[in-house]
Amino acid sequence: MATRNRSLLFRKYRDALKSVRIPASSSASSAATKSSGGGPVIEMVSTSLLHPNRSYTPLSTEDPGNSSKGAVTVGLPPAWVDVSEEIAANVQRARTKMAELAKAHAKALMPSFGDGKEDQRIIESLTHEITNLLRKSEKRLQKLSASGPSEDSNVRKNVQRQLATDLQNLSMELRKKQSTYLKRLRQQTEGQDGVDLEMNINGNRPYAENDDLDDMIFSEHQMAKLKQNEALTVEREREIQQVVESVNELAQIMKDLSVLVIDQGTIVDRIDYNIQNVATTVEEGLKQLQKAERTQKQGGMVMCATVLVIMCFVMLVLLILKEIIF
Amino acid sequence: MVLVSAVRDYVYRMLQDISGMKVLILDSQTVSIVSVVYSQSELLQKEVFLVELIDSISKSKESMSHLKAVYFLRPTSENIQYMRRQLSNPRFGEYHLFFSNMLKDTQIHLLADSDEQEVVQQVQEFYADFVAVDPYHFTLNMPSNHYYILPAVVDPSNLQHFCDRAVDGIGAVFLALKRRPIIRYSRASDIAKRIAHETAKLMYQQESGLFDFRRMEMSPLLLIVDRRDDPVTPLLNQWTYQAMVHELIGIQDNKVDLRSIGKFPKDQQEVVLSSEQDAFFKANMYENFGDIGMNIKRMVDDFQQVAKSNQNIQTIEDMAKFVDNYPEYRKMHGNVSKHVTLVTEMSKIVEERKLMLVSETEQDLACNGGQVAAFEAVTNLLNNESVSDIDRLRLVMLYALRYEKESPVQLMQLFNKLASRSAKYKQGLVQFLLKQAGADKRTGDLYGNRDFLNIARNMARGLKGVENVYTQHQPLLFQTMESIIKGRLRDVDYPYVGDHFQQGRPQEVVIFIVGGTTYEESRSVAQLNASNSGIRFILGGTAVLNSKRFLKDLEEAQGIARGNANVV
Repeated sequence: MATRNRSLLFRKYRDALKSVRIPASSSASSAATKSSGGGPVIEMVSTSLLHPNRSYTPLSTEDPGNSSKGAVTVGLPPAWVDVSEEIAANVQRARTKMAELAKAHAKALMPSFGDGKEDQRIIESLTHEITNLLRKSEKRLQKLSASGPSEDSNVRKNVQRQLATDLQNLSMELRKKQSTYLKRLRQQTEGQDGVDLEMNINGNRPYAENDDLDDMIFSEHQMAKLKQNEALTVEREREIQQVVESVNELAQIMKDLSVLVIDQGTIVDRIDYNIQNVATTVEEGLKQLQKAERTQKQGGMVMCATVLVIMCFVMLVLLILKEIIF
Repeated sequence: MVLVSAVRDYVYRMLQDISGMKVLILDSQTVSIVSVVYSQSELLQKEVFLVELIDSISKSKESMSHLKAVYFLRPTSENIQYMRRQLSNPRFGEYHLFFSNMLKDTQIHLLADSDEQEVVQQVQEFYADFVAVDPYHFTLNMPSNHYYILPAVVDPSNLQHFCDRAVDGIGAVFLALKRRPIIRYSRASDIAKRIAHETAKLMYQQESGLFDFRRMEMSPLLLIVDRRDDPVTPLLNQWTYQAMVHELIGIQDNKVDLRSIGKFPKDQQEVVLSSEQDAFFKANMYENFGDIGMNIKRMVDDFQQVAKSNQNIQTIEDMAKFVDNYPEYRKMHGNVSKHVTLVTEMSKIVEERKLMLVSETEQDLACNGGQVAAFEAVTNLLNNESVSDIDRLRLVMLYALRYEKESPVQLMQLFNKLASRSAKYKQGLVQFLLKQAGADKRTGDLYGNRDFLNIARNMARGLKGVENVYTQHQPLLFQTMESIIKGRLRDVDYPYVGDHFQQGRPQEVVIFIVGGTTYEESRSVAQLNASNSGIRFILGGTAVLNSKRFLKDLEEAQGIARGNANVV
């Protein structure tokens, strides 16, 4: 893919033209003026001949240090940029925490000798943190909306959209991770003993036929095992319930975000459509204003008031007439 | 992929190295160039938070110095003037200028002169000067396309603009591909010859340094042909998806505007038909109408399945799964309704204009022989009340192009009948077409009845029978491409420019049709590319035609020619 860089040539021309513009009388200016030669008077004359329409600005207002380097000051951004930067930082933080969460999930699923409570707590806290971050960011995102069809509001809307897309992707990722973790968790619980004691997941009891026999010979050993498994399943049930709760929270966030995010591949995702729309929203605003003006003028209230006033006058005239005639 | 990925690479490189919040400023041509390859959401990912046109941005006075401005413009004198004004009162923090074609030194000088505050950081030429509508199909979207029809003496300055734009576009394509081609052109066409010579001058003399790429064993071939060599293809009604949508409704920059044909809900008024973004469209764009119907039905059934399962939400798991799949579901829903709407509208139009009937005769006129039967068929259709004016005009034109030499009396009868039936018909348009694109003016063998080999081939095809009456037509381009594949493109018909010469077959061929391409031709190109013949074809033109556009160009040219004749 061929390209050609014209910046060198451009800068050469720019410097050459600049040296012509700045008169040689200023000794503080850059070295380029030394080469211009001639007396200052001649320089000024030639400058004004070259640029007759430009009003000659006195040198004192020019800052040679600034202009000679071409250093550009990118101006201070408006206040809302701070909000967007804060949200972007939150998103970044959430991403790192998600990586940690993935590791924690993997560790918790590995068979271990301990009771795994420590792992569960880590997972819980991480999940909570991430969900909080996302919720906070989403609330702050609403603050970015602006009213009025100005260029600045377009920029804000676009920043909002991009952050919303990031947030939505993060929440979807989190939900996917959680649901895979959930699934694996359930698989583990099922496969723990030969007997499946989880009624709500799998209604069938695979060893139902053996139950009749087993009922008679319930030994001590089996009772103890049963109790232990019950405790475990209660524990697991609680964990699953918690995960499901956070899933629902995320679902709420996603719903709110989905209005902001652009659907890819649709007409709204086209650059030329968005450019046209900017133009039309300004026109639309004008039309709405005009319509509002008209409706107000034609407004029912105004009509009523006018009618009543006229009626009053008519009655007054009739009254006077009545007095006069009778 | 080639053209689309080249333009995408250019846009990516423009935005990649500039950090921070950016505003992208385009002109009316580069908007099309960028919009077909890059989406708004991708721009947002690159931190471009505002996109404006250069003429509207000069109206506003807000200073937004926290944004960096990236300009991507065509190097026209108008754009340079806008730039000058904006540089003298800069609103943004930094200015990065990218031009889609070669800048003249005077233009750089003018820009440097206005940049008093030294806000310009870079000035580059990124040669994305063409609209890549499909991977192997580009267009230049020229608004006044009709100048190719007129001889040079009529309007030399506009014709010069036309040729310059074509040469610029072709040059940009080869710079994007980093190749320098051997150039051939269509013998009978003056304008093809002119564009070919000017392109050769650009590539081998004026900017020979820029075009001096590493030479592979085989240089690619640039073949410049004239639309008038094959006036039949744009006149025919189409039955494959992409071509049909363009013919009946109209596609512009891969967007379809449905507002002209009826009332639709807000989100269906304008839709995007892009093979890059829509997998269903990519699989079906070259299928014929019957097959599309079946595929759409299958898609709707799949979607209904998904929708039904989404309504069965009973447990928390189902809820979770629903929310997970919601974005996919929404996208699928949008896609399904888009295609269903398009196909429904097209069916309505086909029904109204009785296009099945008309198209059968059109295909016969284009492909098979039998003058007497053809005359009868055309006369019947002309007498049929439900056939619209434009269809009548097309039928007579197709008949005239085929049988202009045989039985002139019957031809006259048809002209008169057409004039009496169609109120809007401009007198003499058919004759104008014949004068421009008649048998004497065409290179190549449009009807396959000049060359003995072609006659034999036609007879063989007639005996074998056709799969589908409505899609039996093959554009002339297909034959040309086959000759190139076999290495048998005749020097007599398509001479080389200057002292270029090529033995054997090129591996890459760019065919540029002066006057415009059609989607039927881009379909032939795509099919040949997919058949692994060892050669990669790229097709381009000054516009993408359908019958309406082609007839409009003819009418405008006829108007100018008449005006000129009156003056003389």
